[in-house]
Amino acid sequence: MSLVQTENLTKVYGKGDTAVTALDHVNLTVNPGEFVAVMGPSGCGKSTLLHLIGGLDRATEGRVLLGGHDLSRLDDVKLTELRRRQIGFVFQFYNLIPVLDAVENVALPLVLDGVKQNTARAKATAWLQKMGLGDRLANRPDHLSGGQQQRVAIARALVAEPALVLADEPTGNLDTRAGDEIASLLRQIADDWGRAILMVTHDPRIAAYADRIIFLKDGRVVDETRLSGNGTDETKRVMAKMEAI
Amino acid sequence: MSVRNALLGLLAQRPRHGYDLRAAFQAVVGGEENWDVKPAQVYTTLARLEESGLVQEEGIDQGSGPEKRIYAITPAGRTELRAWLTSSIERYDQRDEFFLKLMLALSTGEADPSKVIQTQRTALYQELHAITAQRQRADPKTELAQILLLDKAVMHLEADLRWLDMIESRLDEVKRQPLPEPEAKPRGRPKKIAD
Repeated sequence: MSLVQTENLTKVYGKGDTAVTALDHVNLTVNPGEFVAVMGPSGCGKSTLLHLIGGLDRATEGRVLLGGHDLSRLDDVKLTELRRRQIGFVFQFYNLIPVLDAVENVALPLVLDGVKQNTARAKATAWLQKMGLGDRLANRPDHLSGGQQQRVAIARALVAEPALVLADEPTGNLDTRAGDEIASLLRQIADDWGRAILMVTHDPRIAAYADRIIFLKDGRVVDETRLSGNGTDETKRVMAKMEAI
Repeated sequence: MSVRNALLGLLAQRPRHGYDLRAAFQAVVGGEENWDVKPAQVYTTLARLEESGLVQEEGIDQGSGPEKRIYAITPAGRTELRAWLTSSIERYDQRDEFFLKLMLALSTGEADPSKVIQTQRTALYQELHAITAQRQRADPKTELAQILLLDKAVMHLEADLRWLDMIESRLDEVKRQPLPEPEAKPRGRPKKIAD
C-alpha cells in the first residue's frame, strides 16, 4: 500500500477574478521507503504540494491520504499530532532554534510530544551520531557549518521515527559538496532506515539521487520518470527491511 | 592521435608489452565502457611508433604462454610525449544527435517536439542517477581519479539537462521561426558570361 496518496489534490488561493490555482488535480503516490523528487519551474506548485501533504495547509479540493488517514477529516489537534509523529520536515534554511544546542534542537519534537527529557536527549544523541555529528552535540547552530546544520535538521526530522520525510529544497542553501553530502544522506535514510522521502528541488544533480522524479508545471503533473529498479521489487526490499527493524 | 600519445605516456612509466599496455590504457580511462581500445589498434599503433623511432623493442617476456615483445620509449618518444602533454586538446565539436532529432521533429511534424525533449530528459536523468550511485560507491581515499572522471560526467549531464529545460521554455518561440536552411547557391557550373 502507498504511504502517501493524493487524490485530485487542488489548492486555489484567493477568490473570483484574482483566484490563483497553485495545484490542479494532482494525483500521486509515494511508497514506503521510496525517495521521490519533485521538480519544476518556480511557481509550479512544488512547495504548496509539500505543505498540503505535510498537513501545514488544507486543500481546496481533493484529499491527501497518509498511511490510510484522510488528512482533511482530522481536526487541528489530531493533525498536529499526526504531523509530529508521522512526518519529519527538512527546510532550505534548516529552521533550527538558535538558542538551543544540537541535542536540544533534535530532542524538541519529542519533548513537545511529552517524552521525558532524558529519553528525548538519548534518542536525539543517537540520531546525531548516525548523522556523523557525535562530536558536535553541544554546538549551537551558529557554531555549525551549513551542511552540519542541515544534518541536525535531518536528525530532528527523524527523531520521532516518522515514516515520511518532507524536504523542501534541502540543498538550496549549500555549496555543491555539502549539497551532495545531504542528498547522499537522504538516499541512505531511504535505503538503510526505510523512510519515504518526498523532496522538492530545482537542482538536477540532487534530483538524480531519487528513485523517481515527478515534474510539475502550472500546478499539474506533466511527467514522471523512474530512475531506478522496478517499483514492486524496491517496495518488497524496503518492506523486508522495515520488518527487520 | 590521443591513443598513440597515451601509449607513449604509458611506456614512459615503464617498458611494457602490448597486452599490458592495453590493460593500463583501459584502467586509466576508467574502463572499456568509457573508451574501448581493441588489441589490434594497440599492436598497429606500436608498430607505427616503432617505425617512427619513438619506441623500440627491448626484449621478450618469456613467461607462461606465448612470448611477448616488450617495448620501451626512446628519447625521441619522450620529446614527442612532452609536446603532447604541454599542448591543449582540441575543442569539442558541436555535433549533437538530440539537436538534429529536435530540428527534424519540428520541421517534419512526425513527432511531438515536447515528447522528444521529455524522452531525452528521462534518459539523461536515468544516466545521472546511475553515475551518482557509482560515484557514491567509490572510495575518495583510494579512487579519487575515478571520482573526478565521474564528476565530469555528472557536470556534463547536469548541463545537458539544464539545456533541455532552456529549449523547452523557448520551444514556442523556436517554432515561430524558420529553421536553418542552406543558403541559396546557384547550381551546376558557373555560367559563362557572354562577351
